[in-house]
Amino acid sequence: MARILAITVTCALLAAACAKTDEPGTAPRTGPVRIGVSLPLSGDFSEPGKGIQEGYQLWAETVNEKGGLLGRKVELIFRDDASDPNRVSSDYESLITQDKVNLVFGPFSSRLVIPAAKVAESYNMLFVEPAGAAKEVFEQGFKRLFYAAPAIAGDHYNYLAEYITKLPEGQRPKTAAYASLDDPFAQGTAYGLRDKLAAAGITTVVDEIYPPDTTDFGPIAAKIAAAEPDIVVGGTQFEDSVGLVRALQELKVQPKLAAFSTGPTLPEFPAAVKNAAEHVLSPVGWAPTTDFPGNADLVKRYKAKFGGDAHEDAANGFTVGQVVEAAVNAVKCVEPTRECQDKLADHIRQGTFDTVVGPLSFDEQGRPEQAHMIQQYVGGKVEIVLPAEAKTADIVFPKQAW
Amino acid sequence: MTLLLQGLALGLLTGGLYALLAAGLSLYFGVMRVVMVAHPAFLFLAAYLTYSLHTGFGLDPLATMPITVPLFFGLGVLLQRVIIRGLDPMMSVLLTFGLALTVEGLLGTIYTGSYKSVSMDYATRSLSLGEVHLPYDKIIAFWIAVITLTALFALLVKSRFGRALRATVQHPEAARLVGVRTERVAGYGFGVGLATAAVGGTVLALVTPFFPASHWAWIGKLMAIIVVGGLGSVLGAALAAILLGVVEGLVLVTVDATWATLMFYAFLLVTLLLRPQGLFGGRLAHRF
Repeated sequence: MARILAITVTCALLAAACAKTDEPGTAPRTGPVRIGVSLPLSGDFSEPGKGIQEGYQLWAETVNEKGGLLGRKVELIFRDDASDPNRVSSDYESLITQDKVNLVFGPFSSRLVIPAAKVAESYNMLFVEPAGAAKEVFEQGFKRLFYAAPAIAGDHYNYLAEYITKLPEGQRPKTAAYASLDDPFAQGTAYGLRDKLAAAGITTVVDEIYPPDTTDFGPIAAKIAAAEPDIVVGGTQFEDSVGLVRALQELKVQPKLAAFSTGPTLPEFPAAVKNAAEHVLSPVGWAPTTDFPGNADLVKRYKAKFGGDAHEDAANGFTVGQVVEAAVNAVKCVEPTRECQDKLADHIRQGTFDTVVGPLSFDEQGRPEQAHMIQQYVGGKVEIVLPAEAKTADIVFPKQAW
Repeated sequence: MTLLLQGLALGLLTGGLYALLAAGLSLYFGVMRVVMVAHPAFLFLAAYLTYSLHTGFGLDPLATMPITVPLFFGLGVLLQRVIIRGLDPMMSVLLTFGLALTVEGLLGTIYTGSYKSVSMDYATRSLSLGEVHLPYDKIIAFWIAVITLTALFALLVKSRFGRALRATVQHPEAARLVGVRTERVAGYGFGVGLATAAVGGTVLALVTPFFPASHWAWIGKLMAIIVVGGLGSVLGAALAAILLGVVEGLVLVTVDATWATLMFYAFLLVTLLLRPQGLFGGRLAHRF
């Protein structure tokens, strides 16, 4: 009799276990909150991938010190997708179905965010991501995707556009030259500024696009030199920002204002262009100096845990954590069920969240609605010059000759 | 008009740089029928060495060449002995592709994936001739290219080693019959090719920032140059490099950068269709 009972019980248990395997949403409601992340820890995006990972780890540490999410410890499960869009899909598939994680966080860059978000969407999981700003990300019809950074590409220069258009008539630049890498993100930043300035009556005199493997910027600078613009704007990554600055110097182009995306925000930039970095402007999503909630703590923790200085990638990872944490605490659930994940997504869509990159809110497609701060090299140091609330120094205009 | 002249001048100077960077590629093909996909990877390996010597010992980038050039010559001889020898051209593409990945991986491990640059004050100034500005870094690159290619040419034409090398290229068996140690000569030939990569890498370090995967942006352009010039012809490659540099510069200032990049492949396509031996290539056996 006892034996029959034992067999029956075992069968029942087995059946229950089998029934569970393909069904998300049956994770235990006690024990740690497991968060699944696939990141490019090797391959093309390994540097930023590791940076994001550091941000996630710091956030988990901070939360756990405060007693966890809804009283449960946070446990991060990392997979390395080797920057491969196919691998990122199968990673999230197995994180959700095999590891039965409670939540997922996004990977790095639009190229990996899109396939990853497709998987998350198919399991009705909330998908907050740190780095997928290309406009395609928001055109896939995702209902649970949110980009946890201040702005999409086109809005990066909003504060600068506002500053320039408000300058008194006599000081206001009249002509502008734009050179941009053929890349949706880099181009988006430059075009956002171009369209706003053009609308304010500043004439576009050069509008160049160059392919990603461009190695020689001399002739592009020659075109800019011939047009003698008041301001020069580069929709750049790193190599091209350095290439353009050097070529503009060589061809003796002296604009009153020079702004480049991405490149100048990296520590390698001043090393590569030396004194020419002075007064160069750049949009930046995060700065160590701002007093947004948790920022000072992030900077301190980063130094203690990883050595070196905190950076934007880590801050972006941290921001994802902060947004999700606020949502979980507000709706009081953290289960991978459709019901709970929908509640979380709905909450994020309607709210405004305090993060290390400033207050964030999102539109229907998950686009953030804020703008990037503007940084400038002043006296060889990176200072935030716009907006007024976050500034650490006054903007210098016109710039000194380079 | 000024813009055209400026484009022409910049194109000419850049063409000189291209000639230097492509010289090794045509040499390998001429000497050993090896398509050396890893040549740009070695260019950047040299750029990194220049960076290390510059930051570590404060050497001027140009002063690092007496160290890197012999090192690369030795490395080239060794590579040829150990892995390149006896490969047919198809296999050499695959094998040197692997070699390129290995070098890239090695650079990533040692120097991390972040950007490095060597910036000298003289590298961002320029010589002004009226309205046309000639950047000093490009002028330096151009003259280093001229000196290196002249030396390479003299070596191939005048020296005993050059004659042995050309004999090996033209008819290995006959060369062996008259006493040329073809194996050894081919090894030295490969070494000379890689030594040009050391020179090219130094110049690259001076003009552009780099990271481990930078070499992929160069392989297409350099391959196009040596095919347009005539595979295996060092002189042809140099002339094609100048031609393509000038065309690129002029298209850049008159049309845009996308069309300028396209020019390399347009010339490659037209060459392959109309004159597959290349603009300056004659019969295969007589090239060097």
